[in-house]
Amino acid sequence: MNPSNPPQAAEYGGDEVSAIVLDPGYSTTRAGFAGEDAPKSLIPTYYGKYNADGQEKLVFGDDIFVTPRPGLSIYNPIGKDGIVEDWDMAEKVWEHSFISRLTGTRAGNPFQNGLNDVSADELPTEMEVESEEKPLSDSPLLMTEPGWNPAKAREKTIEIAMEKWDTPAFYLARTGVLAAFASGKASALVIDIGASNISVTPIHDGMILKRGVQHSPLGGDYISSQIKAIFKANSPQPITITPHYLISSKSAVEAGQPPQVKYKTFPADKAPDASYRALLEERTLSEFKECVVQVWPGPTRLSAPSPTGVSNEDMARTTPGRPFEFPDGYNQVFGVDRFRAVESLFDAKAAIPDPDSAFPPPTPAQTIPELVKASLAGVDVDLRPHLLANVVVTGGSSLLYGFTDRLNHELMQMFPGPRVRVTAPGNTSERRFGSWIGGSILASLGTFHQMWISKKEYEEHGPNIVEKRCK
Amino acid sequence: MGRKSNQRKSSGARSHHSSQRSSLPLITMPPFKDEHILLIAPGSQMTLAQLGLPETFTPARFRFPTRMFPAEKKGEYEPYRVLERRQEVKVNNGTDTKPDVEMKDAESAADGTTVKTDENTQNNDESTKTIEEVFYEEDLASDEGAIYPIENGRIVDWPCFFALLTHIHNTLSPPFHTPIMLVGQPVWSARDREAITQFVFEKFKAPAFSLMDSALAACYGYGTPTATVVDVGKGKVDVTAVTDFAVNEHGRGIALEGCGGDAMTDRLVELLGPKGFTREMCEQLKRSNITEILPPGTPLPGSSATARQGANPAAVASTGGSEGDESAPRGPGDGTQTGIEGDNGDDDEGVLDVAAIVSGNPTEYLANVEKEKTTTKKGAADPKGTRLPNSKKEKASFQFEEFVPVEGEKAAAHGARQYTRRTRDIEVSVERFLLTSPRSKVGNRLTSGILEDIATQIHHTILAVPDATKRSELWDSLIIVGCGSKVKGFTQALLAVITQKFILSPSGTIFTSEIPSNFTTPLPTGANTPAPGQMYHPSAAGVNPLLVAATHNNPGMPGTPSMDPGMLSHYRSTGHSQTPTSVKTLKLPEYFPDFKDQGNSNAPGASGGSAGGNPGASGTSQGGHGIEEAIFLGAQMAAKVFFVIDQGLSKGYMSRVEYNESGPSAIHEYIL
Repeated sequence: MNPSNPPQAAEYGGDEVSAIVLDPGYSTTRAGFAGEDAPKSLIPTYYGKYNADGQEKLVFGDDIFVTPRPGLSIYNPIGKDGIVEDWDMAEKVWEHSFISRLTGTRAGNPFQNGLNDVSADELPTEMEVESEEKPLSDSPLLMTEPGWNPAKAREKTIEIAMEKWDTPAFYLARTGVLAAFASGKASALVIDIGASNISVTPIHDGMILKRGVQHSPLGGDYISSQIKAIFKANSPQPITITPHYLISSKSAVEAGQPPQVKYKTFPADKAPDASYRALLEERTLSEFKECVVQVWPGPTRLSAPSPTGVSNEDMARTTPGRPFEFPDGYNQVFGVDRFRAVESLFDAKAAIPDPDSAFPPPTPAQTIPELVKASLAGVDVDLRPHLLANVVVTGGSSLLYGFTDRLNHELMQMFPGPRVRVTAPGNTSERRFGSWIGGSILASLGTFHQMWISKKEYEEHGPNIVEKRCK
Repeated sequence: MGRKSNQRKSSGARSHHSSQRSSLPLITMPPFKDEHILLIAPGSQMTLAQLGLPETFTPARFRFPTRMFPAEKKGEYEPYRVLERRQEVKVNNGTDTKPDVEMKDAESAADGTTVKTDENTQNNDESTKTIEEVFYEEDLASDEGAIYPIENGRIVDWPCFFALLTHIHNTLSPPFHTPIMLVGQPVWSARDREAITQFVFEKFKAPAFSLMDSALAACYGYGTPTATVVDVGKGKVDVTAVTDFAVNEHGRGIALEGCGGDAMTDRLVELLGPKGFTREMCEQLKRSNITEILPPGTPLPGSSATARQGANPAAVASTGGSEGDESAPRGPGDGTQTGIEGDNGDDDEGVLDVAAIVSGNPTEYLANVEKEKTTTKKGAADPKGTRLPNSKKEKASFQFEEFVPVEGEKAAAHGARQYTRRTRDIEVSVERFLLTSPRSKVGNRLTSGILEDIATQIHHTILAVPDATKRSELWDSLIIVGCGSKVKGFTQALLAVITQKFILSPSGTIFTSEIPSNFTTPLPTGANTPAPGQMYHPSAAGVNPLLVAATHNNPGMPGTPSMDPGMLSHYRSTGHSQTPTSVKTLKLPEYFPDFKDQGNSNAPGASGGSAGGNPGASGTSQGGHGIEEAIFLGAQMAAKVFFVIDQGLSKGYMSRVEYNESGPSAIHEYIL
């Protein structure tokens, strides 16, 4: 290769566009290009609103965790059951998720993007009319939805994709199906432990078995409320979480001693409101869940006596506690309490009562074992052994330490006959983004091309086409 | 492309590498040569560029201001402001063909930004009625009407950005077989990267292109696979956690606005504006040696927080080459800042500003003029003040420089713009320590100062790293780069803020490190009841519960049946300990002497005693570019590795063949 030789003239002439996969959850929204192994963009579904200079301003993305703003309040466009409530804002949050890291604001007029040599007089003058470019006009879009998404919400979703974002092709897939694909299974029983919901979805040959879909609100947020109940009843003193933004500096204190801390004060009209504080408390709680909380490994429940005759709870007391330090410097060792926070996911009676909690006490039917039972009851008896041999665990809250062990025990006790096999990806990001990864696989398959709903078909049949095509 | 050339690299030291590798059947690319590699690192203010890798890596050889001026024809751009001048007299030296590129040798300022000058209006007014000729003149000093294609890292004007790349490419005029490495801003979206890739391949016909993430480049510069990179730029800050040479996109702090160098200048303007300081003065004050960020809690020297402008107008002395020097307009490009490199000294020689000595701080002034003799002179001139470090002095002065157009007959007749440099000393009080304090009126954030904002972002970013076992290492490997971090004391103050806000108290953390789990705990056979001695008695007096916790910290639970042993071991995102227990910055490897010094740029008044008194300041030497440009150093190292040493094996760059096959979107497989 001689440096003075001009390069060959051959140039790229193709037009390869990879689809965008958008996986909107209650707590986070994931977006990325199909074919990649993790979403490039991960933003909170929460957004902030505040007033500055007499104007209402919206904040999206991680910024809400980092920068406190005057009078900031936090909202979530998605309801507790995982179904969109505020469509206008959901559209904005979703749009932010792919604009910020993937598509950018459109580069705009191809005549002016510097790639084309167009002489000045050739430039069409009316190009300004088209300045309002839509964000997805050249990327197909695959979106996900929970298994219990109502038909209305599905139609609204395709409407946004086609009309507001101008996507040339669209598909809507169930999170459960995709999570099964991510584990390389076409048939599976998917147990998804999310932030606002836990769900059990039976999948057969890539199709969702609708009658078997079960969900309940005992997700990560519920666990947070249980932890708060523990903090409230803590001895020697109840623990309050003061998020970092309210603390100016702290000094080290001994375990169990009251914190020595300098607080920050905001003028009353400027202080962020309670929803902001709750959001940041949740940050500390998720750190607590990562560091301290543990699922009682079983095989029997925490309240049950162990085979040795000592109760499991006493057994748990003998295990060493784990220390945790709060943002204000207060620190303490947590012993048996760290098992109790999640026990009610398996045993409704073990729930820690807290009259102030936003969550009503769980019913037995809402626990994971009962959901699985109900789900299997809704599917054909011949399919059950196959499903139990292919249990897939996904969702961020399933990363709680010891969760899969316990689940395994519970399932084996409940279904002693058939072989139970629990699959849980070891990699944190595969667990958290299971449905996104499944979508990434699906949308990059060559055979998937025929599944897309094209813009033309949408225009012919209207939003109802999603009911016919995305089953 | 598939042709194999028999060309061998000339560099003997690495020839065994290439011959080893090229025997592999995988190789399709012939090796690139060190001297052909083109590096470009665009920033909001300055774009660094270099053709060829030197023997030992040095700071970038070329610095282009990241701006262009609209040309006469719409859609085209010029690198300089072009003035149209009509005049009756023909003058030969009307145009100046000096390159706008600031050569490294002549260059002295930190970012080498041009000093803003007052618009010389007299030229334009001169449209006289007589027969006139039109001259086009490049005004090297002016940035009026300039378009800055990058704002806060974002490319806001694509045609202008591409014009800038073209201008850089043309100026360096590399041969055809030149692989290009561009250091990408974190804020660029996937589509942005594709557009740049397309442009590079189609406009420059590059045989290979690498788009490297700036945070990763910093890691290469520091030679570390894992680090938290804090890039303090002009208007924004990027915080990135890099683990094992992979950028963690989730939770990354991208283009945090209002935290960069401009925010510090803004604060100074807010403090000093009412006292008659212009923004330019504040900018120079920020860069001067007397400005320092003190760790939180440090008492300010003196009690009063008032400042006064030391030198009165009468004391201002013009020291520039105004008389007898009619040659070229003194653009700010050619070594305009004083007191930095020796060659500037002769300008000021003998023009001691006596008034300034009298009215201002004589120590500072003399120290500047005769750096060599600083210590002795100081001792004589100001016996009580000299020994104090800068941070203990209530008042200090810095030398302010400005360019003023030359007035008077000569200049008017001559027509060409001429500037003269004026310097004067300005005394500042403790405001110079307050540049990171919160601004009093900021509409849209409840800020506690930029350091706290950055610290919060670092905390958020590290907490978002999924591999919890890496977090502690990330806290201990901070890399702070970017020109905004050059203010004296920035790093120390940032570490201090992190310490007082986030560091866990030792009582809570001393025992939490993962302790080997082979302590005696009853085996899960169920046969043996735990012995009472091993039980955890919360009530037991005199037993530190943490000690108990630590010594019994055994993840193996009693009663745990071993289900799938692999299952337990291969995920472990929970059950780890909290971070940070400590926070540290990384040291730049010592074998790059040119990058060693952290230079304070416009630093005329060498403050007495600071070099010796404050070891943390790491020997503040003046001039040159220091570790704040570690990103560019890293880009050179990475280019060496990708283009020369492994020749594509590590997928460090995208070749033209691959581009022709798969198009611009394939760059994502190579983005580093």
